[in-house]
Amino acid sequence: MNEKSTLFNWFMLVLKRDLVLSFKKIATFMIPLVFFLIVITLFPLALGTEGSFLSTLSSGVIWVAALLSSLLAVESIFNEDYRDGTLDQFLISGEPTFILVLAKVLAHWLVTGAPLLLASLISTFFLFLPEGLLFPLLISLLMGTFLLSLLGALGGALTIGKTAILSAVIVLPLSVPILILGVAVMTSALNGQDFFSYLYFLGAMLAIGTPGLCLATTEAIFINYD
Amino acid sequence: MINLIKKWLISLGSPPFFFTWASKFLSWFYPISFLLLLTGLIWGIGFAPSDYKQGEVYRIIFIHVPSAILGQSVYLMMAIFGSICLIWRAKLAGMFLRSAAPLGASFTLIALVSGAVWGKPTWGTWWVWDARLTSTLILFFLYAGIIGLYSSIDNKQKGDRAASLISVVGVIIIPVIKKSVDWWQTLHQPSTFTITSAPSMTPDMYLPLLICVIGFYSILLSMLLNRLRAEILIRERNTSWVQQYLNNQVRE
Repeated sequence: MNEKSTLFNWFMLVLKRDLVLSFKKIATFMIPLVFFLIVITLFPLALGTEGSFLSTLSSGVIWVAALLSSLLAVESIFNEDYRDGTLDQFLISGEPTFILVLAKVLAHWLVTGAPLLLASLISTFFLFLPEGLLFPLLISLLMGTFLLSLLGALGGALTIGKTAILSAVIVLPLSVPILILGVAVMTSALNGQDFFSYLYFLGAMLAIGTPGLCLATTEAIFINYD
Repeated sequence: MINLIKKWLISLGSPPFFFTWASKFLSWFYPISFLLLLTGLIWGIGFAPSDYKQGEVYRIIFIHVPSAILGQSVYLMMAIFGSICLIWRAKLAGMFLRSAAPLGASFTLIALVSGAVWGKPTWGTWWVWDARLTSTLILFFLYAGIIGLYSSIDNKQKGDRAASLISVVGVIIIPVIKKSVDWWQTLHQPSTFTITSAPSMTPDMYLPLLICVIGFYSILLSMLLNRLRAEILIRERNTSWVQQYLNNQVRE
């Protein structure tokens, strides 16, 4: 690192490193995607393939699948770095941990959340999403998956070195508002109402949650290194 | 005066002092809380007049309402002590969290089960996806997550702090959860059943309910302190004062 390292440089450094690492290992971004599509496939198998029935369920099913797959992927945020000691190096580097967490969450979202948006495009054909819901779906997923990544980072930091299912049990109850607001966006768009009010609320949660949850995650990391 | 209280509160944070204080306190408070609980329950279940609409079934209220109140207030207590544990690293606050979580979870479970038993004869179904029921269920899941978290961490102090952190985060998010569950209710379906807008209670019903709530609170406090005592003994088992205490117990 050069001597004039600023916070932004540090942020970009971590971000780039995480992105490069996950693109080298194709599994990190493929597995959540495939998991998402498998969950989507399970619903028609379980509930029947009738088009109109599936299309009424489609937005909820896509949201639940997104919730599950993004929360199961949290293990990759801190666990690897914890195991090979990189996290220790980050902590003793003297750079702020808050920025580290922020960069790691963003990297995690870029690797698992953003491809999920593409996969949800495919799933709209599988589940016969009603016309005109594509934009509300994408924009609500865009905001929702980032919130889920933030919550997931907290869960992952609290359960460093443990199974992902524990962090899912901790985080899933907390993600109820995200699910409800996400589906509310879809439902009100379907009924032709103004869905932006719910988007604004999601945005407010994003604005408060980004610093708040990153702070909590920072504290959770420190707990592991007491 | 304030300084004295402050001093006393600070010294309460030391495990041996707290242990002896709690033992003394419980020796008279435990019987009283039992008595309060019994009085409330016997009065409510045995002697309070029956409801003109629901008949005798409504008597579940004397268990349901206090345990629902406790389920929520224990979480609030956990968040308060959790922040104490995080900020001042008070050992005792972490132990408090550990002793409180299973109690809170049990009271929430009692509220859910007694609500289901109450719902069957009055609403005709065990469960309704009503906003309040749903948020209570989610509260139970939050408790389960906290218990799962601290019991999976071997280092007790780390477990305490992790559980503190998640309960503090939870208490900030709980209002959002409640609000969103309310929205979800109004969005998806008008609630099929509402808790029958009860006739404003007569003192004959209200007083036993009040005593039940107080009794539940005091029995909670007693159980909590007792669990804390046990937790202190386990954690401090290698210190001299615990050894001394145990030796005295054996001799007696």
